[in-house]
Amino acid sequence: MIATDSTRASTAVELTIATPEGVLFRLPLASPASRLYAVLLDMVIVLGTVNAIGMLVYLVFAKVPGFGVMVITLGEFAIGFAYGALMEGFWNGQTIGKRLFHLRVIDQTGLPLRIEQAWVRNLMRVFDALPFAYLVGGISALSSPLMQRFGDRVAGTLVVRQTPLAVPGEESWTRQKYNSFMEYPAIAVHLRRSATPEIASLIEDALRRRNELAPYARREIYREMAKYLQSEISPFPDELVERLSDEQYLINASGILFGERRSSRVQG
Amino acid sequence: MILNLERFQAQARPRWNALESLLVGLEGRPDRRLNPAEAQQLQDLYARAATDLNRVTHGALAPELRQYLERLVARAYAELYYAPPTRSEVWQPRRWLRIFRAFPESFRRQSRYFALAVLVTVLGCTLGGIAVYYDPASVDVLLPADYLRNPDERVHQEEQGQGRHFGSTQTEAAFSAQLIRHNIEVALLAAAMGVTFGIGTALLLFENGVLLGAVAVHYTQRGFGLFMTAWLLPHGAFEIPSILIAGQAGFYLARLLLRRREDRNLRQSMREWLVLVAGLAMMLVWAGIMEAFFSQHHAPVLPYGFKVTVAAAELSLLTIYLLLVGRGETGAQARLGVPSESR
Repeated sequence: MIATDSTRASTAVELTIATPEGVLFRLPLASPASRLYAVLLDMVIVLGTVNAIGMLVYLVFAKVPGFGVMVITLGEFAIGFAYGALMEGFWNGQTIGKRLFHLRVIDQTGLPLRIEQAWVRNLMRVFDALPFAYLVGGISALSSPLMQRFGDRVAGTLVVRQTPLAVPGEESWTRQKYNSFMEYPAIAVHLRRSATPEIASLIEDALRRRNELAPYARREIYREMAKYLQSEISPFPDELVERLSDEQYLINASGILFGERRSSRVQG
Repeated sequence: MILNLERFQAQARPRWNALESLLVGLEGRPDRRLNPAEAQQLQDLYARAATDLNRVTHGALAPELRQYLERLVARAYAELYYAPPTRSEVWQPRRWLRIFRAFPESFRRQSRYFALAVLVTVLGCTLGGIAVYYDPASVDVLLPADYLRNPDERVHQEEQGQGRHFGSTQTEAAFSAQLIRHNIEVALLAAAMGVTFGIGTALLLFENGVLLGAVAVHYTQRGFGLFMTAWLLPHGAFEIPSILIAGQAGFYLARLLLRRREDRNLRQSMREWLVLVAGLAMMLVWAGIMEAFFSQHHAPVLPYGFKVTVAAAELSLLTIYLLLVGRGETGAQARLGVPSESR
């Protein structure tokens, strides 16, 4: 658990893009470590391919092994550069390694990268890979606000993290038949008026993550939040509150905050 | 305003799904072109998703949903604002062949960086030459390889054919491939080191120059000037200019990075750099072949005069190619392949 948390913290760098329509969105940048893994995997793939082709070349050039060596040496060299450039250029910024590690190369304006950018950033590897294990590129990435190695700086590209995301599922906890807070319309309206969006979201989030929280932590968090609401914002009568668990208290409160139909009944 | 997330999601989910399936379809296409109906649909769905994102960002604390929408908006934004290269731009081999004309044109356009590369190399040459001329002992420091330090022995070996481990065409082929690879790597490094504000490029060229100057003076002093010229020049006629062009590309890159951000036309400049690199790589392929198959054969087999003549012919052809090809034939636009820029 601690490990995942720390990786999250170290890769929490992001790029914010403002579109011409005035929409802001953030793109999470890839960590140098995950990029290195992807490069290693790509290297294995390239070497595997080259060796497979090499076998074939040896068979074809069995009579003239010298030319076989020539073809392999040059082929390996050309494939080494062309693999990255062509894959990224024609496969929307991904090589096989990048795809498996959920990375994508994009233009630094948030658009897909162009073929010439793909070539430049891949040719620049000769410098970034110096003196070994991409030390130069790694230092460059760590010292750059956008995690760019030198090749990325020249080509105007960056690598983003793209873990697959699904639409968050529907919640069932707000669908309740009866809300005892409705019996106190004045206090309910007060709660609705004085709760900030932050508090409302906090309550909602705490309820939504019910099953992610350890029982002890859940009890503590719900108790704190219910206590805060009760004492600072909306003091419901004690005889009602005593009958409710803290969780039920929060469910009721969120019913008041988010349930528009019910609130109209309260006001009416 | 506090957002009722549940109801909001129930309402919006169909249009997010529609946008997502549209995007999946588009991203799968190699040319990524939209027909008008799709463009309209994408524009609409994008605008709505963007509005949804704004509402989630400001009306609720729902990190997962916000991330999901950000991803969706980012992908739609990329598809809407990206001008994809046309199919013909990518797949027409004739366009690829334009490199043979584009290379000398780029070379001439950026000739001042070439001049700088020549200057640095000549400085190195002079220094290396002077050092060896006045202090022959410095050879031990300046020349790394043993065979370069003892020309008498080396020339004897070479002419007897003893030193020649290149007995057959076979080994020569393998050797040429290694040379091509190594030379292109070094040249590419010089071109890439432009990112060190050109300092790395300059150091590389300077070192190369010192070596060249030292060898030239050392061999000439021992009376092997003709041997050396015949030995080095058949491939050097292409190899040395190509390293200079690598330096040119490096300095060009350095100048580009030193410019203020708004002055850069990155796309065009990147092409210029790529064209120079591609051109010098082609030159080095030829140089590698010459070095392995031709340069290593000496006097009894190939007379020195012949070798030097071949080298001179190569050098003049290269000069004519770099200075004259494409001159005046095409406008500036066609040269850079700019038509795509106007889209």
